[in-house]
Amino acid sequence: MNAPQPRFTGAASYVLDDELAKIVNVSIALELPLLLKGEPGTGKTMLAHAIADSLGLPLIVLNVKSSMKLVDALYQYDTLTRLNDSRFGDSKRNVSNIEEYLRMGKIGQAFTSEQRVVLLIDEIDKADTDFQDDMLDVLDQMQFDIIEVDQTIKARQRPIIVITSNAKKDLSDPFLGRCNFHHIAFPDAELMRRIVVTHFPTLQEQLLEAALGAFYRLRAIEGVEKKPATRELINWLRALQSDPDFKPDALKQGAVPHLGVLFKKSGDYAAAYNKLARSR
Amino acid sequence: MFAAFFYALRDAGIPVSPTSFLRLQRALGLGLIGSVDDFYAVARSLLVKSERYFDLYDQVFAHIFAGAEAPAVDTVELSAAIRALIEQWLAEPAELARLLKLPVAQVRKLSADELVEYFLKTLAEQQAAHRGGSRWIGTGGTSPVGHSGNHLGGMRVGGGPGNFSAIKVALDRRYHDYAQGGVLTDQLLGEALKRLRHLKPSGPKDQIDIDATIYQTVRNAGEIELVFEQHLKDKLKVALAVDNGGWSMVPYVKLVQRLFDQARAQFKELRTFFFHNTIYDALWEDAARYKKPLKVDELPRLEPETRWIIVGDASMAPDELESGWGNIYLDSRRDRPSIERLHFIARTFKHCVWLNPVPQRYWKGTPTISAIAAIMPMYELSLDGIEQAVVQLMRK
Repeated sequence: MNAPQPRFTGAASYVLDDELAKIVNVSIALELPLLLKGEPGTGKTMLAHAIADSLGLPLIVLNVKSSMKLVDALYQYDTLTRLNDSRFGDSKRNVSNIEEYLRMGKIGQAFTSEQRVVLLIDEIDKADTDFQDDMLDVLDQMQFDIIEVDQTIKARQRPIIVITSNAKKDLSDPFLGRCNFHHIAFPDAELMRRIVVTHFPTLQEQLLEAALGAFYRLRAIEGVEKKPATRELINWLRALQSDPDFKPDALKQGAVPHLGVLFKKSGDYAAAYNKLARSR
Repeated sequence: MFAAFFYALRDAGIPVSPTSFLRLQRALGLGLIGSVDDFYAVARSLLVKSERYFDLYDQVFAHIFAGAEAPAVDTVELSAAIRALIEQWLAEPAELARLLKLPVAQVRKLSADELVEYFLKTLAEQQAAHRGGSRWIGTGGTSPVGHSGNHLGGMRVGGGPGNFSAIKVALDRRYHDYAQGGVLTDQLLGEALKRLRHLKPSGPKDQIDIDATIYQTVRNAGEIELVFEQHLKDKLKVALAVDNGGWSMVPYVKLVQRLFDQARAQFKELRTFFFHNTIYDALWEDAARYKKPLKVDELPRLEPETRWIIVGDASMAPDELESGWGNIYLDSRRDRPSIERLHFIARTFKHCVWLNPVPQRYWKGTPTISAIAAIMPMYELSLDGIEQAVVQLMRK
């Protein structure tokens, strides 16, 4: 605790609001995993990248899948290779030494790394509740056992842990109890302007104005399943910039080219299209 | 430190654990918090574990640190509750018109949202007129207003805000929109879909069965013999029956259909039927309920393993359910009461559930809901309800 804690102040490609910066720093200081929720495309995953960038630490990403078992995230015991080696005996590995067939999973890598790392556990809500709770046990104690060789792996350096969840439903209570929690609200127009400017430093003011206006108008359309988020806005601006026929004035007149970049579900696309056609 | 804040949060209904409060003390002790702004952000991330409570937190924070009016405990759920009530009332426009003191024709013209707004406005006027009076509509009368004495929800104008921006932020109540739970909405569709995924039995698996591989290899005198696990189970057949009659179901029919249409790929077969209020002699395959009837007597021809999901508010006059002459359409009256038909379906198919968009807390008030829930398991049309229903449907 005496060593000065690294402080996170934002990265070049990530616009950080003050509130979130405080929360990140307190999570690092208290050594709590930070659980981030929020609409898809609001930069939950990007935050972990930004933390790693700004603190100069390596980032290890565990992409959670629905079929994943906890042990997959910790380590893998490669039985098949061992079986194969024992049959053909042409490898350099020592078949009677199980450890040669153990490989670390993402959490294992984070624990055994010489350097402190940022561990991003992405989309935890995909896995079932048992996985989530068991994983928190491991992260709480900062150690796990390898059953095959009866060995305990302890974290050399406590990783900075960021967990993201898209779920609108809450995670289990014991899980929440061990995390620091933040919900990334959808950025308002002011913050969005700053975000866009970081990504497109040379964007004309006029285009930015028109595009943001159109974007928030489109977000307000009701009955859309997946509203366009920051990610879609940035891709859309990229599309507009690369389109030689595009003129910023068109946006003001209500035309929205490349609508498909913003609305990716056919139902949503149709709804937005109809709405635009009617309002013109 | 800040014990009052802790208790105020708990009193407001935010589940704040003592452990997390101790963590806050630790953060304070470490000198991590240097201003009210810091305190606002850090305390929230440590103490409040769901965005649903962020709005409430903002109100408590503003109350404690700036003397704004304290939040009413059930403010959060109020507008959702009223919405549910109004949807119930829409089934009986005359009753609703009487309660709102509006002509029936006008009530019919208003949308649900407008009604909620109007209702809240009326409630506000009432509250202003009898300050301190806690009861308003029909105590013990026929109206389903069970929670009399609600404090009025909506925005509160705080007392003079201090000089701290955090308090201004708290007074802004940015998280108002997130403070809703309950019945399924468009926004929750994706989540609901995720729940339905569990209806899918595991498809083909190309995993190596280690134990069997070792066994076969040894039998094979050490020559490696790989054994693959392959579970090729049949996908499920699902029958969906939706109550698409009556105003009360209108908001849900499309939602439910979209939900299942999106899940269609994972079922072997999905058949959609329609009915009004409850099931009599036939179900219809067309939404207009007259072109393509399927007699209930013929249902046993469907596979008995078919999963039945019936969606309806199950709210009707008891006669419609129990009397042989209950069908509200005169030309299709028959002598079998609907309740017998439901029993028949529940007997024929092992896996039936009824999903009800009426929030569970109002079920007791409607006798037909209890009657149908006694025949087949009934769940709320919410994320939790769908999850439970899926468990029930997957039961062997």
